[in-house]
Amino acid sequence: MLDIQNLRVTYGTGRLQVDAVKDVSFQVKKGAAYGLVGESGSGKSTVLRAICGLAPISGGRVLVDGTEVKTPRDQTFYRTVQMVFQDPYASLHPRHTVDRTLAEPLAIHGEKNAEERIAQALREVGLGPSFRFRYPHQLSGGQRQRIAIARALILRPKVLLLDEPTSALDASVQAEVLNLLDELRHKMGLTYILVSHDLAVVAHLCDKLLVMRHGEGVEETTAAALRHGTASNDYTQSLIHASSGYTREVLKPAAA
Amino acid sequence: MTKPLLEVEDLRVRFHLRTGTVDAVRGVSFQLGRERLGIVGESGSGKSQTGRAILGLTPPPGEVAAKKLSFDGIDLLTASKRTLRTLRGGRISMVMQDPKYSLNPVMTIGEQIIEAYQAHAKVSRAEARDKALAMLEAVKMRDPGRVFALYPHEVSGGMGQRAMIAMMLVTDPDLLIADEPTSALDVTVSMEVLRILDELVAERGMGLIFVSHDLKLVSSFCDRVLVMYAGRVVEELEAKHLREAQHPYTRGLMNCLPTLAADVRPLPTLNRDPAWAL
Ligand SMILES: Nc1ncnc2c1ncn2[C@@H]1O[C@H](COP(=O)(O)OP(=O)(O)OP(=O)(O)O)[C@@H](O)[C@H]1O
Ligand SMILES: Nc1ncnc2c1ncn2[C@@H]1O[C@H](COP(=O)(O)OP(=O)(O)OP(=O)(O)O)[C@@H](O)[C@H]1O
Ligand SMILES: [Mg+2]
Ligand SMILES: [Mg+2]
Repeated sequence: MLDIQNLRVTYGTGRLQVDAVKDVSFQVKKGAAYGLVGESGSGKSTVLRAICGLAPISGGRVLVDGTEVKTPRDQTFYRTVQMVFQDPYASLHPRHTVDRTLAEPLAIHGEKNAEERIAQALREVGLGPSFRFRYPHQLSGGQRQRIAIARALILRPKVLLLDEPTSALDASVQAEVLNLLDELRHKMGLTYILVSHDLAVVAHLCDKLLVMRHGEGVEETTAAALRHGTASNDYTQSLIHASSGYTREVLKPAAA
Repeated sequence: MTKPLLEVEDLRVRFHLRTGTVDAVRGVSFQLGRERLGIVGESGSGKSQTGRAILGLTPPPGEVAAKKLSFDGIDLLTASKRTLRTLRGGRISMVMQDPKYSLNPVMTIGEQIIEAYQAHAKVSRAEARDKALAMLEAVKMRDPGRVFALYPHEVSGGMGQRAMIAMMLVTDPDLLIADEPTSALDVTVSMEVLRILDELVAERGMGLIFVSHDLKLVSSFCDRVLVMYAGRVVEELEAKHLREAQHPYTRGLMNCLPTLAADVRPLPTLNRDPAWAL
């Protein structure tokens, strides 16, 4: 469904030039979920943004369903692919109510039953009708993130690019969102790319994942390998190790 | 016993909207010493609004009321605007939940840290610049020099979060309110950042309020935890005993987490009892 070939993204010039993504390749089968994990600043969000045409691609190809995407991306693309941004505040229009945020994609794509679908979209992310006429700044962090998820889901796209979709959610709401994503994938065959720093979340939702560092993929591995703690790459191992919680011990040798 | 650093008694925050009234915080009380206090709780339960109210940063038209709100003997409810301004970003800092939104979009990261530093310390520009670079390095930025010159929209989610932490720590605060400070960080960088906070508490005696929904992290990092639900503190316990929580909300929360050890699906969810919100 998704085929990313030797993707490159470079930002800035001179002293500030950075190769945010260097030569990243991976494929995601229809109906599969693929994880991107790795160091902060390693280019995970940039990969998703590049797929959506929101980052300057300087090399490589992006294929959706076997055909190379058009630049700029057209309506058909956004009908097929939707993205949940890492930063819900920045991706929600500050002067649009929740209602307008959810109604707009429906209107653009000529969808019917807007009323009903908005109510359903809110229900799916665990928000009652009382949130419908709030503005983004009148919501808590997790409520904003849920609106961003609802907006991406409302068109029932075939591919969802999810950038830290549950990182602002408490455990119970996170479980509800993960169950919803799981269910949609099994019922409707949606394809996901999920960026998350929570390895348990990635293992829960994804079959395969790419570990990134400094703009490169350092290891492609499976959820099963994560669960068994069998990673070949040292960096991946350190991620698995650090997931077990904070330890003061590591601090002590330095102090002694 | 020494006096607590922060005393909060019966804190209330309320918003009147056209569509009705939102009681965001409904009578929160706690004391903070030179320790790591975790606040966990449901999305929308009032964690961020509690932090903001302490700093006097409740967004209009929010109304704040409390029986007591005092920091190091200073009554924050009656303190002058000027006193509050000097405290804020100086002795009391807050790392906001939406760092990239809270940073100034038209100023580089470096300039913002310099400005924050110079507002509270009498130092030359060169000194402030060195300090800013050192702070960026301390929060494990890969290329501090580059990040210094970037605008907020040019950094990644986790870099924005660390930039905000650098800016809030540059003034050596006595009280740091950190609202989900590591939610966008990969686990290894997150550990490094926590270690900095840990040292500040252990060595400088900073008081830390650590808002997070990451239960594993809170129970391993904090000393004490408050659990919030619908604007109230429903349970307070020692962090390491989070697994033995009594309140059904807290207990339920622990079960909802996916783990690497077991593949449970669908994940258990909470059946919220309306009685919890009374
Ligand atoms: N608009 C931009 N201008 C300049 N540099 C940019 C821009 N957007 C991203 N970058 C740089 O690209 C690199 C990768 O950023 P990206 O947001 O993809 O990281 P990430 O893996 O998503 O990290 P995080 O986990 O912290 O969100 C960073 O060094 C960042 O500074
Ligand atoms: N400006 C506002 N106007 C009206 N209601 C608001 C406003 N800001 C916050 N609220 C409401 O107050 C309640 C508490 O919000 P708060 O941001 O403190 O939640 P939180 O516990 O930090 O949640 P999260 O974990 O999702 O960030 C929420 O229900 C939210 O919708
Ligand atoms: Mg990112
Ligand atoms: Mg919050």
